[in-house]
Amino acid sequence: MKKKILILGGGQSALYAARETRRNDEKVSITILGEEKQLPYERPPLSKDYLLNKKNEEDLVFNNSKILDDKKIFYINTNIEKVDFNTKTLVSNNEKEYRYDILLIATGSENNKLKLDNNLENEIHYLRNLEEAKIIKKKIENKNNIVIIGGGFIGLEIASSLSQLNKKVTLIEIGNQLMGRIIPKPIADLVKHTHEAAGNKIILNKQILQISKFNENYKILLSDNSELEADFIIAGIGSKPSVSLFENTDLKLDNGIVTNEFCETSIKDVYAAGDVSNFYHPLYKQYIRLESYQHAQNHGICAGKNISGLKTEYTSIPWMWSDQFNLNLQLTGICENFDEIIERGKNIENGIIYFFLKNKSIKGACGLGVAGKVGRDIRITTKLAEKNVMVDKRILGDESQKLNKLISK
Amino acid sequence: MAEENWIEVGSIDSIEEEDLIRFDHGDKTFCVYRLTDGFYATDGYCTHEVVHLEDGLVMDDEIECPMHQGVFNIKSGEALSPPACEDLKTYPVKVDNDKIFIKID
Repeated sequence: MKKKILILGGGQSALYAARETRRNDEKVSITILGEEKQLPYERPPLSKDYLLNKKNEEDLVFNNSKILDDKKIFYINTNIEKVDFNTKTLVSNNEKEYRYDILLIATGSENNKLKLDNNLENEIHYLRNLEEAKIIKKKIENKNNIVIIGGGFIGLEIASSLSQLNKKVTLIEIGNQLMGRIIPKPIADLVKHTHEAAGNKIILNKQILQISKFNENYKILLSDNSELEADFIIAGIGSKPSVSLFENTDLKLDNGIVTNEFCETSIKDVYAAGDVSNFYHPLYKQYIRLESYQHAQNHGICAGKNISGLKTEYTSIPWMWSDQFNLNLQLTGICENFDEIIERGKNIENGIIYFFLKNKSIKGACGLGVAGKVGRDIRITTKLAEKNVMVDKRILGDESQKLNKLISK
Repeated sequence: MAEENWIEVGSIDSIEEEDLIRFDHGDKTFCVYRLTDGFYATDGYCTHEVVHLEDGLVMDDEIECPMHQGVFNIKSGEALSPPACEDLKTYPVKVDNDKIFIKID
């Protein structure tokens, strides 16, 4: 009998784990069980090029579906409702059983939902998957007074796209800056100014007290008792790992599925990768959970290697980006627990970067610039953080000096 | 016979080793690279989204897009790492009298 690899979840981690497993082992059977009808697709464009009609549904599917056919990887659209780790069986909502020898859980994460004390909860829109993006795209066609709740990456990216579609946009953020405290305040302020210059209204430090409906419009009561009107509401208020299926099982959970550096969970022959995994990072010597494109891909690949018997530690340095208007923000490494910050660059046309150092070594950086302008230096930062090398701070802070020279061969 | 379409880019000293420069010609834009074993040229824009590779990082034979880290082989143009999945067009390069030329179709 062929060894059966089941991958639960049909996103980026699932796809890359499947491909890597196949690359290392021609013989095993590999099946992805995904909740969505679509083959694994790229999520970053959903809030940007897809809303802006620059990319359509087919453009989003990962390097087209041929990858799955060519590599003999099966994709089944199903909803799994039960898992039995003792008998190594998953059961779908239509009672179909799937047996595995090795299971990879890559169920990703799901949106936090706004809690309202009336029946309007279902009228608040969220954007995580293609179906939700499709609905938003269709419904906003005749809307022009849109409120976005939450000033994180997703809310801001949607705000940027809607502004480019000439919609009136108001974004409400509970915190005192956009994108959370991990982003340096000057960068958060530059992003705010860019939105405002494009006509978006940004409201900080306000909570939503109540949402009510009159005719076809909404009234939003804020914590300072001011009121806003909207004809459409989108919320992006964070997310949580998708682990409800495992809540009454022996699988160890703590802010996601607890996973070691080899993507192994607390149960033998069960692995986890991507957003759902709270994994041990050997370089940082702590557990971290990440939600990003690069992590979904690399963690999936690492799981694929380990599933194939190639014991491989996951040591990838976190990296993520956000595109808003013509700006590209990038974040790499760990941008907390530093003892020094160094600034490089003076304007977004050429890029501004804040480097975070601890004991004279770079731990992370956050940069903002017109598309592409901070990428090279952020990438070099990642490499320096990987090697944990001490750096010459004068070079870091001097825009006229290329950072390439800091990477020793 | 018509002269082949070799266009002068500049002096070989205009590019540091393991680095690149942007080169615009007419309405086209290119990247010209200096690797340890010679000079190479590709289209200027990443095949994933319209961003110029001039701000990308050259490592060995690879250029990495500065926006989303798609990676291409500079010599073959092959897309090596997502989100890039479409290959980058490459162009022949020659050096004559310490000057770099690229052949544009």
